[in-house]
Amino acid sequence: MKLAALFPLFAIPFAFAASKEDKQKLSSLAASGNGVIRLDAPTFDILTSSSRDWSASIHFTALDKRRRCAPCKEFDPSWNAIAKAWTTVPAEQRDSHFFATLDFDEAPIVFQKLNLASAPVVWVYGPTEGSRATGKNSPSKYDFSNGFEAEPLAQHLSNHTPIPIPYRAPIDWARWITIVSGLLVFALTLRFVAPVLQSRWTWAIITICTSLTMTGGFMFTRIRGSPYTGSDGSWIAGGYQNQYGQEVQVVALIYGTLAFSVVMLTMIVPYQSSPTRQRLQIYLWSGVLMLVYSVLVTLFRVKNRGYPFKLLL
Amino acid sequence: MSTAPPLPQNISASTVANTTSLLRILALGLISAAAIASRLFAVINFESIIHEFDPWFNYRATRVLAAKGFYEFWNWFDPTAWYPLGRVVGGTVYPGLMATSGVIYNFLHYFNLPVDIRNVCVLLAPGFSALTAWATYMFTKEMKDPSAGLLAAAFIGIVPGYISRSVAGSYDNEAIAIFLLMFTFYLWIAALKQGSALFGTLAAVFYFYMVAAWGGYAFITNMIPIHALVLLLMGRYSGRLYVAYCSWYAIGTLSSMQVPFVGFQPVRTSEHMGALGVFGLLQIVAFATLVRSHVSSKQFQNLTAISVVSLGLLGALAFIVMTYKGWIAPWTGRFYSLWDTGYAKKYIPIIASVSEHQPTAWPSFFMDLQFLIFLFPAGVVMCFRDLRDEHVFVIIYALVASYFAGVMVRLMLTLTPVVCVSAAVALSSLLDTYVDVKEPSLPDATEADKKPASSGAVGSHAGTSAAAVASSTISDIFNAAKSTKTSKPKGIWGTDARIVILLNAIGMLVFFVFHCTWVTSSAYSSPSVVLASQNPDGSQHIIDDYREAYYWLRMNTPQDAVVMSWWDYGYQIAGMADRGTLVDNNTWNNTHIATVGKAMSSTEEVAYPILRKHDVDYVLVIFGGLLGYSGDDINKFLWMVRIAQGVWPDEIQEPNYFTPQGEYRVDDRASDSMKNSLMYKMSYYRFSELYGGGNALDRVRNQHIPKVGPTLDYLEEAFTTENWIVRIYKVRKEDPLGRDLKTANAFAQGKKRKRGRVGSRRRAIV
Repeated sequence: MKLAALFPLFAIPFAFAASKEDKQKLSSLAASGNGVIRLDAPTFDILTSSSRDWSASIHFTALDKRRRCAPCKEFDPSWNAIAKAWTTVPAEQRDSHFFATLDFDEAPIVFQKLNLASAPVVWVYGPTEGSRATGKNSPSKYDFSNGFEAEPLAQHLSNHTPIPIPYRAPIDWARWITIVSGLLVFALTLRFVAPVLQSRWTWAIITICTSLTMTGGFMFTRIRGSPYTGSDGSWIAGGYQNQYGQEVQVVALIYGTLAFSVVMLTMIVPYQSSPTRQRLQIYLWSGVLMLVYSVLVTLFRVKNRGYPFKLLL
Repeated sequence: MSTAPPLPQNISASTVANTTSLLRILALGLISAAAIASRLFAVINFESIIHEFDPWFNYRATRVLAAKGFYEFWNWFDPTAWYPLGRVVGGTVYPGLMATSGVIYNFLHYFNLPVDIRNVCVLLAPGFSALTAWATYMFTKEMKDPSAGLLAAAFIGIVPGYISRSVAGSYDNEAIAIFLLMFTFYLWIAALKQGSALFGTLAAVFYFYMVAAWGGYAFITNMIPIHALVLLLMGRYSGRLYVAYCSWYAIGTLSSMQVPFVGFQPVRTSEHMGALGVFGLLQIVAFATLVRSHVSSKQFQNLTAISVVSLGLLGALAFIVMTYKGWIAPWTGRFYSLWDTGYAKKYIPIIASVSEHQPTAWPSFFMDLQFLIFLFPAGVVMCFRDLRDEHVFVIIYALVASYFAGVMVRLMLTLTPVVCVSAAVALSSLLDTYVDVKEPSLPDATEADKKPASSGAVGSHAGTSAAAVASSTISDIFNAAKSTKTSKPKGIWGTDARIVILLNAIGMLVFFVFHCTWVTSSAYSSPSVVLASQNPDGSQHIIDDYREAYYWLRMNTPQDAVVMSWWDYGYQIAGMADRGTLVDNNTWNNTHIATVGKAMSSTEEVAYPILRKHDVDYVLVIFGGLLGYSGDDINKFLWMVRIAQGVWPDEIQEPNYFTPQGEYRVDDRASDSMKNSLMYKMSYYRFSELYGGGNALDRVRNQHIPKVGPTLDYLEEAFTTENWIVRIYKVRKEDPLGRDLKTANAFAQGKKRKRGRVGSRRRAIV
C-alpha cells in the first residue's frame, strides 16, 4: 500500500525526461508544420499527456471534401494565420504553447474518445506542471459566437499563452486598391459627374432608396444574419419579430409603389392637359394605391396573426 | 375660371380668415383631447399605476423631490441601491422629468388642488403628448402650411410609435423628451428662417431642458450641426444661418454643461465634437465672406479661399490629434454600437441584452406607423421639390432616423415625428390638389388636335388602352418636371375624380384610426407589473404576482434586508418593496452585474460565499413555467451567463449550459452546469410536486421537468406567489455548529454520512 503510494514519486524523474523528449519532438513538429502540428492519435496523446509543462490549443476539424464541412474550410485559414504569428515569438515562450490541428479522417478514434460530434472545435489544454500550471487537466472550449475571424480568437487564446499572440490582421490590399482607384476614377470623371451630383433628384433617389430599405427591415437581416429565404424555400419568415432577406425587397417595393402612386397623383397628374387622360390616370393610380395597400395589409396579417383588419383582399 | 361645385361668393376675406383660425384652434383642441384619451386605456383597463421598470425609479425619485424639496433631491445618496456601493442619485440622473412633475405638483398644491404625486406621474406622459401634437403642428407649419400642420398633429397624437412610450403610467424620460425634441427643432427652423437670435436663444433654452431630461439629446446635438453643414456644402451660407447657429450653440452648450450628469462632456467627448467643429467652420466661412465682400481683387479672393481650406484642415487635424492623445474621449459604447452593429454584442453584452436594443423587423415599422410609412417617402420627395432650407432639415432627419430606427427598436421613437411630418406634407399636398374646386381652363384647340387619336382611343376602349396610358405617363413625368418651372395650368377636371381621391384618402385615415386604437389598446397599454389574461368566459383575469411578492417583501422582511435579483427587477424592488438591491436598471457597474450573473449561474457551493459576502438575505427569481409567461429568468439566463463570462471567462462558459447537441434545454437532457446552477434550482425547486409526481410541464419551453427536482441546501424557499411567477428564497445563515450547510442538511434529514469525506466537507466559510 505504502509502496504504491510512493511509486509516483519515483516516476517523476522519468516523467520529466519523457516530457522533455516529447517537448522537443513537438516543437520540431510545429516548426516543420509552419507553426501547426498535424496530429494523429499517438501525437495527440503525447500533446495532451497528463503531465505537461506546456499548454496546447487544438483545433478539431474535418477538411476532407467528403465531410462537406463548410465552416471548417472557413475557419482553417484563421487558425493557420494565428499559429504562424505564434512562430515569431522567442523560442523560450514559443515552446511552451503549441498549436495543433487534428483532422477527423486522420484520427477518428480521438473524436470518438472525446465524444465530439461537430467540427470545427477549438480546445485549450492548460499546463499541468511548471510555473504556469492551472491545476486542471480538462480543456476549455472556445466559443465561436464571435464568428470565425482570427482576431477574437487570438485575443481569447492570448489568455492561455505565456505572452500575448502577436497576431495582426493582414492588410487587405485589394480593398485599399479598390478605394484608391475608386477615388481616382471619381476625381477624373468629376467634370462629367458633377451635374448629376448637383441635381437634387439624384439625392432624392438616394434618400428614398435608403429610407425604403431601412424601413423594410434591412438592418435586421444584416445584424441577425437572416438568410435570403427559408430553408424550405418560403420567403416569409414566420413570426412577428423575424424576417428573411427577400422580405426586405418585397416590402420596400410595396412601400415604393405606394409612395410613387401618391407622388404621381400629387405632382404629375394635375399637370395633365387632357381631361380624359387625367381622369384615367387618377383612376389608375387610385386603383394601384388601393390594391397594393390591400396586399400590404394581407402580408402583415401573415406576420401578425392576431391582426383583426383587412382591406379588399 | 370655372369650379367643379359652385362656391358661395358673398363672404368677406376677414370672415374666412377668422373662421379658419377658429376651426384650427378647435381642431388642435380636439387632437389634444384624442391624444390624451387614447393614452388612458392603461388606466381604464387596469388602474392608475406606474408601468414597467425604469418608471419605478423615476417615480421613487419624484416622491423624494416632492416630499423633501429640490436640494435634498440634488444631494440624495441612495445607500440601498447597488449594495454595498450605493448610488449618488443627484449626479447620475437626468433630473428634467422629476423636476417637471415636481413643479406641476407644487403648482397644483399652491392652488389647493390636493393631487397625489402618483397621479401627476401617471398622467404626465399623456399631458405632454398634447403638447407634442402642438409642437409638431408648429414645426410642420414651417414646412408647408397650417393644414399640413394639423394633419401632422393628428398623426403624432395617435400614432402607436409614439404612444408606445407615452401611455398613462409610462413615466419615463421619453414622455417629455419627444415634445422637447420637436419644439427645439421648431425653434431652430424658426431661428434659421428669420435669422433671429431670439429664436436661437429659445432653441438653446429648450435644448437645455432636453439635455436635463433625456440622454437622447445627443440626437439634437448632431442633427442641427449636420443641417448647418449640409447647407454650407450646398452653398447656402447666409447671415441667418450664422446668427441662428451661433446663438443656439453658444448658449445651448454653456447651459447644457450645468446639468451635473453631463458636466464637461460637451467639450470632451466625440458625440459633441461635430457641433463644435461646425461652429468653428461657420466662423471661418463668415470671416471669409466678410473679407470677400470688402476685397475686390481676384488674388485676395484666392488667398481667402486657400486660407479657409487650410484653416479647416488644421482644425480637423487638431481634432484628430486631440482624440489620439486622449484629451477628447472617444465615442461612448452606446453611441458607437449604432455604427458598428456587432460591437455591442462583443464588448458590452449588457447593452445588447436589452430587448429594446434589438434591430427592428419590418412588421414593427408597419405596426407602429401603418400607412404613414409609405406616405413618408412621398413627403420626402415633395420636400425635394421645394428644397428650401427647412426642407433640407426634414430630408436629413428622415435619412438619419430611418437608419437608427432600423438598428434599434427603441429609436423608432425618434423616427416617428419625422414620419408624421413628412406623411402630413404628402397627404396635405394630395388633398390640396383635389379639394381645390377651381378647374383649369380647357386645353388649347391646337394641343387637343395633336392627340385626338389617343384620347379617342382612351374614351372608347378603356380596357385595351391601359398600356398606352402607362407609356404616356412616362412622358408626362418629364413634361411635368419641366412644367413646374413654367406656369402650365394645373388642376383637376370633374367632380368624380375628386371624389375618388378624397374617398380613398378618408378611407385610409379611418383605417389608420382603427389601427391605432387597436394597437394601443391591445399591445401598448399593459403595465407589465400587472398582467392580464382571459378567463374561459372571456372576462378579464388579472395576474398580480409581482405586487404580491413585493408586498410580501415589504411586510415580512427586516427593513435593511438586501434582495438579490437580476437587474431588470432592481428598480421595482426598490420602488415597491422598499428593500436594498445589488443591481438595478441603471446598469452603470458591469462587474457588479456580472457578480450577480455569476452567482446565478454557478453551483450553490460557489454562489453561497458570494451571497454571504454581499449580505444578501433574499434571492428573487421570476419563473413563468407554470403560466407560460415567456419573459422569465430562465429565458434571460443566457445573458446572465454571457455577462458573467465577460468578467470570469475561466469559470463561466456559455457552451457548458447547452446540451452537447447545442440545444438550450431544461428537461432531463439539460447539461450538468445548467442543472446545478442556482438559477435552475431556484426556478424548478419543488416544481414537479405541483403535478403530484406526474409529468411536470414547463409551458414556456414546452419541456418536461425531471420527476426528481433539484434540492437546495444553502437557500430555503421563503415565498412563492399565486401563479409561481415570483419565487423568493431566503439565504440560510452559517450552521451554528460550523458544519457545511450541505452536511448539516443531510444530517437533519437523517441521511448517513459517507465515511472518509468528513474532512473535506468541513471548512470555514469566509
